[in-house]
Amino acid sequence: MATRLMFENSCEVGVFSKLTNAFCLVAIGGSESFYSTFEAELADVIPVVKTSIGGNRIIGRLCVGNKNGLLLPHTTTDQELQHLRNSLPDQVVVQRIEERLSALGNCIACNDHVALAHTDLDRETEEIIADVLGVEVFRQTIAGNILVGSYCSFSNRGGLVHPHTSIEDLDELSTLLQVPLVAGTVNRGSEVIGAGLTVNDWTAFCGSDTTATELSVIESVFKLREAQPNAVVDEMRKSLIDSYV
Amino acid sequence: MPRGPTRDKRRTYKSKDQKGFPLSSKDKGIPKHTLEGKSDLSGSSEEEGSEADFVFFDPKPDDFHGVKILLQTYLDDTQWDLSGFVDLILAQTTVGTVVKMEGDDDDTPFSIVTALNLGRYKDHKCIKELKEFLLKVCQEKDVIRDLRLLMGEQAHDVGLLVSQRVVNLPPQLLPPLHDALFDEVSWATEDEPTAELRNSFRFKCYLLVSKIYKHKNANQKNNRNLIRRSGSDGGDGIVYIKPEDENFHKLSLWSFSFPMHAQQVETQEASNIVVCFFWF
Repeated sequence: MATRLMFENSCEVGVFSKLTNAFCLVAIGGSESFYSTFEAELADVIPVVKTSIGGNRIIGRLCVGNKNGLLLPHTTTDQELQHLRNSLPDQVVVQRIEERLSALGNCIACNDHVALAHTDLDRETEEIIADVLGVEVFRQTIAGNILVGSYCSFSNRGGLVHPHTSIEDLDELSTLLQVPLVAGTVNRGSEVIGAGLTVNDWTAFCGSDTTATELSVIESVFKLREAQPNAVVDEMRKSLIDSYV
Repeated sequence: MPRGPTRDKRRTYKSKDQKGFPLSSKDKGIPKHTLEGKSDLSGSSEEEGSEADFVFFDPKPDDFHGVKILLQTYLDDTQWDLSGFVDLILAQTTVGTVVKMEGDDDDTPFSIVTALNLGRYKDHKCIKELKEFLLKVCQEKDVIRDLRLLMGEQAHDVGLLVSQRVVNLPPQLLPPLHDALFDEVSWATEDEPTAELRNSFRFKCYLLVSKIYKHKNANQKNNRNLIRRSGSDGGDGIVYIKPEDENFHKLSLWSFSFPMHAQQVETQEASNIVVCFFWF
């Protein structure tokens, strides 16, 4: 199911949070209702970790991760890195990388199998992504925009991309990613999908300005209506070390 | 100006970079402004200055995102129905102006100015939350009584003046912008289709919520007293972010201020405070 919420009057939920199949990061300094919304949906299933990155609250745009790992920019402090390593499940590899384009969340979009990357990303970073996140990396643009992480959002079951993406591009991306894609908007016509929405295989969070139409598109393309968290987590449970007894 | 149900509101204002170029306006009756040449910036060999034409538009639904960004900190960091408030502003096309740049592909609003009748919209969630917020933050006993009256029984005579803009909007635009607003209010009292709507624009007073900077004193108590003194320039230690607020403050019947939580300025000198005052 998709949930609508706000962070301090801002509908850009994907800026202040990062959701994957194995963990969820939320920014510090928000109101209690912001955390409690995440915790209500996720607490029994995956850990919800409050953090900042480099002292910033825009964590969703600075980091990128999936069930295998989390990549952090060079601006992350040692304390934050340690905090994340302690709080996340052991099978999630947390790594800080030296990359000139430090807003990793804007430059990279990924699910558990495939990643789309900014065309100017370092070759070394591309290798680290493939290694730590366990994904195949493709350098792409979305509707002519190089910030792929900002203009699309996809999970293992479906994806939403910039509304002006052409049919040919949609087909090409869909073949690369091996998931169905839809061109649409979030937060009442906002094209910045990655900022307005954060999603994993069974749930999604979007800004409260999102219209009912946009919400139903999100629920249908990400297949959230039939999704049960237990089914997904059970697959991973064999390799998960239970850290929250 | 021709009178009639649809008045042509589009006005274009040319404004040039501050390098000694004159400003002009296409509208008649607005005097030409000339700026004294600024001291030459040594080393700047690029183009002489940038031209920008600003155009005034009626609010329309497409402006939603831009106006929402401008009003993000309108009520400090309270969570309230900001989207509903923006919708209200954009729905009122007869009174209200959005300033945009000519030829801007993004179509982003640079400024929004409007006046909303508190009584007409009193059932909307955003107005209710706004009233609650102002009554909650008002710490001054003598003012709160008047404020409660304004929000309650006299709400139908009160116009909430909403004026927000980007910080670098050329100040030369301000007089025509505010003239436009008050002109529209008086035209609306004649042009609106129903008597009820016409009366809703006969404001007896305006309420303005705005942001100022206030000098922090070593002694906190002195701060309170500073507000009551009728403003002498700079003497009351207030720095007005928007220059017209100083004039409004001087003309106001009463005002109060309260500290903001968002955007704390940590310097020794200034702290952000919002002033709300009543203007006739």
